[in-house]
Amino acid sequence: MTAIPVDDNTVQDPTRRAPLVLGDADLASVTQTVCEIAERPRPPTSWYVAFAVSVALTGGLFAAVGYLIVTGIGVLGNNSPVYWGWPIVNFVFWIGIGHAGTLISAILFLFRQRWRTSINRFAEAMTLFAVACAGVFPAVHVGRIWLVYWLAPYPNQMDLWPNFRSPLLWDVVAISTYGTVSALFWYLGMIPDLATLRDRATSRWRQLLYGLFALGWRGSATQWHRFEWAYLLLAALATPLVLSVHSVVSFDFAVAQVPGWHTTIFPPYFVAGAIFSGCAMVVTLAVPARAYFGLKSLITMRHLDNMNKLILGTSLLVGYAYGVEVFMAWYGGNMYEAFAFANRALGPYAWAYWLMVTCNVIVPQLFWIRKCRTTPWIMFLIAVLVNVGMWMERFVIIVSSLGRDFLPSSWGMFKPTAVDVMMLVGSFGLFFTLFLLFCRYLPMVAMAEVKAVLPPDRGPAPAVEVD
Amino acid sequence: MREHRIPNVDDDRLTLSGTRPAVCAVLAIAGIGMLVAGLVLGWNRGDELKGFLASYLVSFCFFLSISLGALFFVALQHLVHAGWSVTVRRLAEILAANTFCMAILFLPILGPMMAGNSSLYAWSNPAAVDADELLQWKQPYLNVPFFAGRAVVYFLIWGLMARFFLANSTRQDDSGDPGLTRRMEKFSAVALILFSLTVTFAAFDWLMSLEPDWFSTIFGLYYFAGAVVAFFATLILFALALQQVGLVTQTITTEHYHELGKLLLGFIIFWGYMAFSQYMLIWYANIPEESVWYLARQTGPWTFVSLGLLLGHLLFPFFGLLPREVKRRKLLLGAWAVWMLVVHWIDLYWLVMPTFAPEHLPFGLIDVCCILGVGSLFLAGLLWSARSRALVPVKDPRLDESLAFENF
Repeated sequence: MTAIPVDDNTVQDPTRRAPLVLGDADLASVTQTVCEIAERPRPPTSWYVAFAVSVALTGGLFAAVGYLIVTGIGVLGNNSPVYWGWPIVNFVFWIGIGHAGTLISAILFLFRQRWRTSINRFAEAMTLFAVACAGVFPAVHVGRIWLVYWLAPYPNQMDLWPNFRSPLLWDVVAISTYGTVSALFWYLGMIPDLATLRDRATSRWRQLLYGLFALGWRGSATQWHRFEWAYLLLAALATPLVLSVHSVVSFDFAVAQVPGWHTTIFPPYFVAGAIFSGCAMVVTLAVPARAYFGLKSLITMRHLDNMNKLILGTSLLVGYAYGVEVFMAWYGGNMYEAFAFANRALGPYAWAYWLMVTCNVIVPQLFWIRKCRTTPWIMFLIAVLVNVGMWMERFVIIVSSLGRDFLPSSWGMFKPTAVDVMMLVGSFGLFFTLFLLFCRYLPMVAMAEVKAVLPPDRGPAPAVEVD
Repeated sequence: MREHRIPNVDDDRLTLSGTRPAVCAVLAIAGIGMLVAGLVLGWNRGDELKGFLASYLVSFCFFLSISLGALFFVALQHLVHAGWSVTVRRLAEILAANTFCMAILFLPILGPMMAGNSSLYAWSNPAAVDADELLQWKQPYLNVPFFAGRAVVYFLIWGLMARFFLANSTRQDDSGDPGLTRRMEKFSAVALILFSLTVTFAAFDWLMSLEPDWFSTIFGLYYFAGAVVAFFATLILFALALQQVGLVTQTITTEHYHELGKLLLGFIIFWGYMAFSQYMLIWYANIPEESVWYLARQTGPWTFVSLGLLLGHLLFPFFGLLPREVKRRKLLLGAWAVWMLVVHWIDLYWLVMPTFAPEHLPFGLIDVCCILGVGSLFLAGLLWSARSRALVPVKDPRLDESLAFENF
C-alpha cells in the first residue's frame, strides 16, 4: 500500500483554501492507491470474515421473507391498531439513509463543494444499497406479494387502476425514479474510472467486464467535454429528487388525520432527517473504510470534519422541527394533537421518544467541539447513535401515533416478533454485503475527479477547451 | 478559450461619497408624509384603523423580509466560508442593518395595541377572548405584553447580529485582519440558530396570529422562503442601481449576477415547495379547523390571487429564470427581480388581507401610501448606512477569489 504521510488540513485559515488531498499524492499515486484495492488477487482475511457474516445475515433476511410469504403477514408484529409496524419503520429508515449520496454528489456539486470528490463515489454506492434495502419492505408487507404489480399503473382487462390519490402510489413512483436516477448518476461518474481499471487489468475476464462497462471510454477531450455536461445536467435533475423522495414519504403520514402525523412541516422535516441519517451512515462507513483501505490521504480529516458539521446542522434542523411540532401541538388547541405529544413524551413509548431526542438532538451537539469532529472513534460512536436515533424516530412516529389515536377503546401496544427482528438485522446484512462487494470490485474513490483537485504543481496539465 | 479578465478593485468607485445626510432626511420626511396620508385616509374610513393597520402590516412585513433575507445570507456566507460572494456581501450587510430601521417602523403596529386598539389582532381584544375558549387557551402566548416583549427580543437579536456583521466587516476594510473573518465565521452558526427561531416566531406572531384559531407548523419556513426570494431580488436591483450611477462597475461582474440569479431561482423553487407542502397537506386532510384558512383564499376574488401566486410566484419565474442567458443579462435579470418583489408583496397581501376583507380585494390608495411610506423610510435607512463606508469589503481575505469567480 502506498504510504502517504498525513498532516492536518482541518485548520481554518481565511487567507488560503485547505488542501483537499494530503501528502505527496500525484496523478500516478492516486490511481495506484484506489485501483490496487480492487486489483489485489485476494482481499485480506478480515474482508472474508465481514463478508461471511453479512451474507449469513442476508440469508436470514431471505429466510424471514420466505417464511413471511408462505405463511402470511400474521408472522409480523403488525396488529390492530398498529397496522404499520416495523416494515414501514425499516423502509423509511433505509430510504432516509439513501439521501446522503445524492446530496453529496448532486447538491454539493452544484454548490461547487469540491471536497465532495473523495467521498461521493461510495456515498452514492451507499445510497443505492440503502434504496435496495428499503425496497424490500413495502413489497413484502403487502400480504399477497404475487400481486405486488398491482401497485403499478398499467392498462389491463379489468380496467383496474391504483388509486392515484394515494400517497402509497406516489411512493412507488418517487422511489423507483430515485433509484433509477441515483444508479445512472453513480454509473455515469464511474465510467472514466472503470476505463482506468480496464486499462490496468491483467486478466482476460477483468478486461472484458471492466471494458464492457467502461463503454469504450478513451478519455479524449470531446468525451470529457460531453461527460462534464452530462454530469452537470444529471446533477441538476437529481437535486429536486433529493427533496422530493422523502417529501413523498412524509406524505404517507402527513396526509392522514392521525394525530402526530398530520402537520404541515412534515415534508422539509423528513428531508432534513433523511440527510441527517444519511450523513451519519457515510461517517459510519468512511471512518473504518479509510483506515482499512489506506485512504487517509484522500479521505482526509477535513472531509470527515465537514461531514460532521453537516450532521450537526441537520441535527439542529430536526431539533427545530421537533420543537415547532410540540409548540404547535399546544398552540393549536387540538386535544388529540396535544395528547399525541404528551403520550410520546410520557406514555408507554416514552423510552423510545427520549432515546430519539437524546440521539438526534442532544448527542450530535458534541460536534460543536472540534476534537469530537476530528477524532475518528468519537465521530464513529456519535454517527452510530444518530442512526439508532433516526430509526427510533420512525418507530415513535409510526407506533405511538397508531397505537393511541382518537378512541381509547381501540388503543393497543406493538410487540415485534422474531421475524421482525430478523428482517431488520437481515437488511443490515444485505446492505453490508453489497457494500463489501463494491469495495472489492469497484473504484471506491472517484479517481478522475480527485485528480482535478490535486495541488496545481502535481495536478493535471491545464485542459485545452474545445468549442 | 473564453476571455476572462480578472477585475481590479482599485479601478472602481466604491463609495457613495456624494450622498449627503440631507438626501436621507428628505426621503425620511417623504416617507413619514406618505404614512400620515395613509393614516388620514384610514381614519376617514371609520373602521378603527383596521384597513390602515392591515395594509401597513403588509408593507412592514415586506420590507422587513428583505432585511431578514439579507441577514440570513450574510450569516450563511460566513458559515460556509464562501468566496464567490465577497463582492456583493457588503450590500447584503447594509440591507441587513436596516433591521434597526424596521424596529422603529414596528411601533405603528405595537403602539395602537398598547393603547387598546384591537382591530388588527382579534386575540388582543378582551371581549373576544372572553367569548372564545380557544383564545383563552392561547392567552399565555397571545397577550399584548408578551407579544411586545417578544418583538423587542426579535429586534434586539436581529439588530445586534446585523450590527456585528456590518461593523466587523467594515473594520476589516482598514485593518485587513483575517482574524475578523474568523470571528464572524465562528459566530455565524449561532447567528443562524438565533435567526431561525426568531423569524419563525415572528412569523407566527405577526402573520399567523391574525387568524388566531388557525395554525400551521411550516408557516415560519413559508415566510422565510419568501424573505430570501425578496432579498435576492433586492440585492440584484441594489447592485444594478449602484452600477447605473457608476459605482462598483468592475467588482460586481456578470458572473456574480449569474450566481445571484441561480440562487433567486433556487429559492423561488423552495418557496414553491413550502407553499405546496402547506396547501397540499391541508387540502388533503381537509380538517375544518385548518382548511378554513384556505377556504377564505379560494372563494370569491381571492381565488384569482391564489392562482396568480401559483403562476406568478412559481411557474412563470421558474421557466423565465431557467435559461442561462436570462441570468447573465442585466436588463432581463433586473426585470425578473422587480417581478419577484411585486409578487412577494402580493403574497404577503394574500396572507394578511383575506382576514379583513374576505369578500373583495381591498386594494386602494392606503396600500400605495403604505408601500411608498415604508419604502421611503427603508431607502433612507439604507442610504444612511451605505453612505459612510465602502460598498465592497476591500480587504476581505477572499476578495481575490470573488473577483476571479467564474460559473461553470
